[in-house]
Amino acid sequence: MRIARITSIICALAIALTVGAGIVARADAPSASATELKDASSKAPATTTLAAGDPGGSLTGTISDVPVGDAKTGLTLGDVANQVGQNKVGINFTWTLLCGFLVMFMQAGFAMVESGLCRVKNANHTYMMNFFVYGCGLFAYWIVGFAIQMGGAAGNGNLGGLQPLIGEHMWNLFGTNWGIFGQSGMFLAGHTYDVGVMVIFLFQMVFMDTALTIVTGACAERWKFLTFSVSSVLMGAFTYPLFANWAWGGGWLAQLGVNAGLGKGYADFAGSGVVHSVGGVTALAVALIIGPRIGKFNRDGSANAIIGHDISAVLIGCFILAFGWFGFNPGSTLGASAAGCLRIGSVAVNTMLAGCTGTFGALLYMWSLKGKPDASMSANGLLAGLVAITAPSGFVNPISSAIIGLIAGVLVCLSVSFVENTLKVDDPVGAISVHGACGLWGVLSVGLFADGTSNYGGAWNGVSGSVTGLFYGDASQLVAQLVGISTLVGFVFGFSYALNWVLDIFIGHRVSAETEVAGLDLPEMGQLGYPEFVFAQESEVMTAAPRVVLA
Amino acid sequence: MAATKAQGRAFTLFMVGLTGATAGIALFSSGIGKMALAVGLIAFAISFVSFLKMKPLEGRVALGAQPAVMKLIGLASALLGWVVVLIGLHLSASVSGRMVTTLLGFAISLVGVLVILPIASNKNAIWKA
Repeated sequence: MRIARITSIICALAIALTVGAGIVARADAPSASATELKDASSKAPATTTLAAGDPGGSLTGTISDVPVGDAKTGLTLGDVANQVGQNKVGINFTWTLLCGFLVMFMQAGFAMVESGLCRVKNANHTYMMNFFVYGCGLFAYWIVGFAIQMGGAAGNGNLGGLQPLIGEHMWNLFGTNWGIFGQSGMFLAGHTYDVGVMVIFLFQMVFMDTALTIVTGACAERWKFLTFSVSSVLMGAFTYPLFANWAWGGGWLAQLGVNAGLGKGYADFAGSGVVHSVGGVTALAVALIIGPRIGKFNRDGSANAIIGHDISAVLIGCFILAFGWFGFNPGSTLGASAAGCLRIGSVAVNTMLAGCTGTFGALLYMWSLKGKPDASMSANGLLAGLVAITAPSGFVNPISSAIIGLIAGVLVCLSVSFVENTLKVDDPVGAISVHGACGLWGVLSVGLFADGTSNYGGAWNGVSGSVTGLFYGDASQLVAQLVGISTLVGFVFGFSYALNWVLDIFIGHRVSAETEVAGLDLPEMGQLGYPEFVFAQESEVMTAAPRVVLA
Repeated sequence: MAATKAQGRAFTLFMVGLTGATAGIALFSSGIGKMALAVGLIAFAISFVSFLKMKPLEGRVALGAQPAVMKLIGLASALLGWVVVLIGLHLSASVSGRMVTTLLGFAISLVGVLVILPIASNKNAIWKA
């Protein structure tokens, strides 16, 4: 007892001495630097000098521009340090917001690609789905989705800490706490009315909307606008945010490293899984429920090609998407001035390369095996490469990026054929293959190709070290990625299927056969996309509704 | 029948219901929160009743009946595979053991998603007629 008391007194003395030394050191520092600061202030260009103009830019941005906390004491080291901190966060805010704006512009690309691949009689309807999905998703995400996804994601130093986002709901299973959903931030009200929270909201919101717009492509030309609207709102409110919380909001997938010793937990840098696979598997779920378009399949099960109306829109839309992807992937560092953030250059180059090799993969596959460098599949190849590199872009080197993109370019061709000819699922734009299949490939590729050189603050998902895949020595990371893939295929698909099945019972996903044959523009939207066009007559199989429907 | 005023009103009610219900959850500790939740849920329910009433008016669709039991089995298989993956994480502590259980669960999910549900979807497909 006495020994313990003596020990505690010694410890207390040691702490007091340490703190005291710190205080003395801190007290000394400003006095030592005060002279230097005063000296630098005196050397700053005078107002009269600046009034003459600064064409070379060497006089603008000096010590005079650092705000002073207290006019009486003048500029202190504390003022300078505060300005440095604010500069860091300011750079990161600017970077993240600008990248978010780029991602938002991808909606235009999606609209052009999807509409271009549809028939002219459905152009207005397809454009409108891509337009309105933005509003549906944004509103749903604002009222509840963001809170579910990021409501427990406090702790990001790049954006000032995001401390108001403390509220991850945990379940204790097998003696371990697992994050299930966030709870702070509904309506961005109360303590989440915060500058950092606004930045992360905008950035995450545009990602969510990308996932939602994937579904509209797979269900185009037969999806009732009402059911599309309700389904999109519910996806933005619940389906997407739930998985995004598990992967990015501090949920159980992110905790696989800390809680289960699987690598650095599920790693998805910019969303091959969170964004594209969630959109892709949901697209498959709805496409299974809604069924193929009239005339897509013949009685013997063979498929008819239903050609889109505007290949120029498709290709220009793809370039808009590729441009927006520079916001998607490099923006996912959530900063340009913090540990590891200078990797934005390699993230951007990886993105570029994978898109390039994805195009090559699809184009060469189609040209070699089908005889023509098919434009729509080449476009899908570019997107496939970009989708696949989205998850690994922050963890792999350029050579791996090129390989990942090339494989995705071939995979998308094989997957489109499999979905159409084996599953007999009608996907007018290839969304299930581009985003679903290649998204899952991207998630898997992190577990294979991550080279262990990335360093985002010395840890990922709370586990020290860099994300390292199987080819660089960590097989456990591959297991974490496979758990994520299984969750996407098992849970996210199942949840989406059940939700949309209920909507099918109450509302019905599909427009009437009569509307479908006429084209959705007039019956659903009240206006043709191209009112002055003379429509070409479609073949009998496309216009004659099957006997069983009209009998 | 295609898009109508009734659909527009029902969707408006759906949005009002969802907004009210979520606002109610956000403010649940207060009296106004509980009231907003109740009003929101009622509006939500009415919107779904409206959807259901409108459905028969919208004409026949080019889609054959999809067998519900087979759809349920496919859905259950997809979810079961995921549960197997989760349980597998606790059954084994080794990387190889977890890899095996994860791949097993993934395969079960794939059977549901890529085999059973497409068969259910195309069982009475209109193009076969």
